[in-house]
Amino acid sequence: MKLTSSVLEMDFSETQKRICRFIKEYVENADAKGIVLGLSGGIDSATVAALSSLAIGGDNVLALMLPEKENFNQKDIEDAKVVANKFKLQNQICDMSNVLEGFYKGIPVFEPKDRLCKGNIKARTRMIYLYYYGNKLNRIVCGSSDKSETMMGYFTKWGDMAADITPIMDLYKTQVRKLAIHLGIPQELALKPSTPALWPNQTAENELGIKYETLDLILYGLERFMATEEIANQLIIHESIVEKVKARWLANEHKRRNPIAPKMGYRTVGNDFRLPRHTY
Amino acid sequence: MKVNDMKDKIKLALAQISSTRENKEANLQKIEALTFKAKEQGADLAIFPEMSLTGYVVRDQFYELAETIPGPTVEKVEALAKNTGMHVIFGMPELSEKTRATIFNTAVLVGPKGLIGKYRKMYLPTHSVFEEKRYFRPGYQTAAFQTDLGNIGLCICYDLFFPEVLRLTRLKGAQLIVCISASPAVRRSYFETLTCARAIENTAFLAYVNLAGVQDGLQFWGGSRLVSPTGDLIAKAKYDEDDFVTCEVDYGDIRTAETFIPTLKDLRPELFDKLKEYSELL
Repeated sequence: MKLTSSVLEMDFSETQKRICRFIKEYVENADAKGIVLGLSGGIDSATVAALSSLAIGGDNVLALMLPEKENFNQKDIEDAKVVANKFKLQNQICDMSNVLEGFYKGIPVFEPKDRLCKGNIKARTRMIYLYYYGNKLNRIVCGSSDKSETMMGYFTKWGDMAADITPIMDLYKTQVRKLAIHLGIPQELALKPSTPALWPNQTAENELGIKYETLDLILYGLERFMATEEIANQLIIHESIVEKVKARWLANEHKRRNPIAPKMGYRTVGNDFRLPRHTY
Repeated sequence: MKVNDMKDKIKLALAQISSTRENKEANLQKIEALTFKAKEQGADLAIFPEMSLTGYVVRDQFYELAETIPGPTVEKVEALAKNTGMHVIFGMPELSEKTRATIFNTAVLVGPKGLIGKYRKMYLPTHSVFEEKRYFRPGYQTAAFQTDLGNIGLCICYDLFFPEVLRLTRLKGAQLIVCISASPAVRRSYFETLTCARAIENTAFLAYVNLAGVQDGLQFWGGSRLVSPTGDLIAKAKYDEDDFVTCEVDYGDIRTAETFIPTLKDLRPELFDKLKEYSELL
């Protein structure tokens, strides 16, 4: 297999159709009144918002913008509004600052300089907002995780990964960017640097230490059981880079799974209790 | 049944449905309604997808849903076939009569006079998203049945990847091979190729009926079709959605196909011994 960017090419009309069908059928079968999602102004949530609107109509999609004062970014809010307007989404801004302050003050050992732990509170607080609205309005919570970040474990456990459906989780970031442009999301937004927005000036590529164009091809090779040496040779990069990506991918499987229990019974939840997710 | 008594032309209804999981009653109602519709449209045989009775992604619930054949569901379909004068093919989890939890992935053929036969899937995919060997015992027999509608062979989904299954079905006399399927969208191109290939190499009609709908994130691509013995698409259902298509099988076409593509005449039996020998050494 030749590992070039062409392997990530897709028929984006077909991709759009299949994802929209997935969203529509899920919402209908769950007898839900629509979708609630977080709209950050970034590429992943913009794409999921657009797909949701195309699937079930913007009137049935509530986009929450969840800024907070430490990491406030007016441009992100404006970008989110562009998407909300273009795809005719219901939308609401909820300033999380007071809630976050409450957490910071209420945790006896809270350490403000520990930005990772603090940032994870933000991701989990967003989840609480989304599920509150989902619960209150009988809506499905729609997540925005993509395949690159999910494989790398680049997300907050029970935070941004917490959702009922994740329509773009089987698309690599570079594929999401192209799908976004196909959907009519402005190019400027589609190509701006991704960030989890947990602290100021945070960017995904800086933290991951690799460009998505390279990362996605490495992950694509790993997905297809290619050896690290072969991937490195094909991409003309040092094998240690591929090994590092592989190690991170494997080390984070615990973040992608439900909690584990010691096997005690006849059939065990999350293990050999194999049931359909729904009965429809 | 004498071969001379069979019809030269028959009409099929490719009933591409999305099954409701674990709801045999709802799925049977759909099978009944579409069998009546097929009858109204002049069809002789209505074909429903793999596991159309229960849904495909039901996992451990197969143990609760499986039934013997004959059994309650087959009796209902027999009554349906009798009332309509139709032949019906559908898929269901079959419980062995001799055990309590040995299940087969089975295609059932019922006619106006009752159960004609069944086929137990031989090749059970257990890779990627598939986990059939976890639940099912494989079948050991190919199936070709002489009926009022001609000699009909049965196979199921992944069997199509194994030319020997359909070859044997054809050698047993099948002129129309029915493949019922639950194939997810990422594999569409394989099936579109293989349905034509299997029809051509056996110079037989091949009716492929796939599920539609989404089950646990698996999107079944529909695209049911009737392929001629020379690989032409006689009829094709929509991708992804429920659909209902009628089409005609003209058995007279097989003679033309066999003279133009004489694969059966040119068959080399001695190669099959070698196939056995080398497949054991793989």
